Amino acid sequence: MEENNNIPYIKMQEAAFRYPKGDFVIENTSLTLFQNEFTAVTGPNGSGKTTLGKLIVGIVKPDCGSVKILNRDTREMTLGEIGKKVGYLFQNPERQLFSMNIREEISFPMEIRGIPKEKIKEKVDEMLETFSLTHLEGIPAFKLSRGEKQRLAIASILVNNPGFFVMDEPTTGLDAERKKDLSELISNLQDKGIGMVVISHDLPFIKQHADRTITLSGGKIIDDSR
Amino acid sequence: MTFPLEVSELQFRYQGSETNILRGVNLKVKKGEILALVGLSGCGKTTLCYCLCGIIPHVIQGDYKGKVLINGTSASEMKLPGIATKLGIVFQDPDTQLFAPVVEDEIAFGPENLCIERDEIGKRISEVLKQVGMERYRLGSPAILSGGQKQLIALASVLSLHTEIFIFDEAMSQIDSEGKRSIKEMICQLKNLGKTIVMVEHDFENLDIADRIMVMRNGILEPYNGVLK
Repeated sequence: MEENNNIPYIKMQEAAFRYPKGDFVIENTSLTLFQNEFTAVTGPNGSGKTTLGKLIVGIVKPDCGSVKILNRDTREMTLGEIGKKVGYLFQNPERQLFSMNIREEISFPMEIRGIPKEKIKEKVDEMLETFSLTHLEGIPAFKLSRGEKQRLAIASILVNNPGFFVMDEPTTGLDAERKKDLSELISNLQDKGIGMVVISHDLPFIKQHADRTITLSGGKIIDDSR
Repeated sequence: MTFPLEVSELQFRYQGSETNILRGVNLKVKKGEILALVGLSGCGKTTLCYCLCGIIPHVIQGDYKGKVLINGTSASEMKLPGIATKLGIVFQDPDTQLFAPVVEDEIAFGPENLCIERDEIGKRISEVLKQVGMERYRLGSPAILSGGQKQLIALASVLSLHTEIFIFDEAMSQIDSEGKRSIKEMICQLKNLGKTIVMVEHDFENLDIADRIMVMRNGILEPYNGVLK
């Protein structure tokens, strides 16, 4: 594997994780992720892809070894602190939407940070426009289609301006048109310098974007190529 | 002639919505046919699946007009347990389908409710877990499985019902390529046994097994001509 000379954004060292009463899902894994790269994580079902993503963003903490974001151990960071550095899109966007109202869903992270109302309104309008959600504003979030819920979830993550974004199976449930829209969005985020890890077994999608592809099997990295 | 599934002039509007999502759907699916439904996200494919399996109007209410017939009987006049003996559905999101703490209990739940004998249920559990390649997870918890593995268990649970009609609503969306190949083979075997299958798909690579492809556009179904919009 060719080396990347940039500063690591996320560094995992000899990290291992298992769920209570389960086998190890991730076994002694070391991995360095850079902001100037699109890294794809692929592998068969149950190989540990989603768990690796959750370790990267501190939703689960390693049983041994460490995961560091910009040199800080995720065990010492709150999820709020992590959310400002790394965004995480769940495999099922429904899991991260909680507001009845689209505007509230996007404004929530800014409200808890005490950002002035006028600025929040401006930013929400901008996000609704960017993610083609303006025409859906009156509809309760739970009534949106899967593609629409995903766009809303992404908008809510990006208002935090994270430097890194982890997406778990983002093409699931998207039709060809929506996949094209997602591709454009990813390219825009790459242009803005946001580092990206995309967990997927949609190989054509991965090939289109990835600078680096990591293949997992049985909780271990079996291939890492640029 | 009686079709396993027949839909005529079906219209539906969700409560609180101003427009109909289904605007006169007509469809006849033959015994032993694999019908694929395609269409843009949010166009009403899943709503149609809910109508086919009776969730609409029995569970989700709204403005419902037209008819859905299962083997010639109106789905809105059948009770849900009766429909479950004829038709099995695998939902888009396996988390909405799985609830038991152990995989084998999850699979046994359907046949138990159909009053199938214990020995037969045991046999069916082994058979369907083998079909989806998940034998080693029989005593594990569905909660710690990956998205794709959960989808395989949801599929196994529905296969264990041994119904004549199956609806797969994007049932392969989280499954890896190897798994997809074997699920497609399994669907073809079901067809050869005379089962009727409706599959909703976004992945065009999965459509090669379909006998017919219909597209949902503007609330109606039309033969697919290569265009989704």
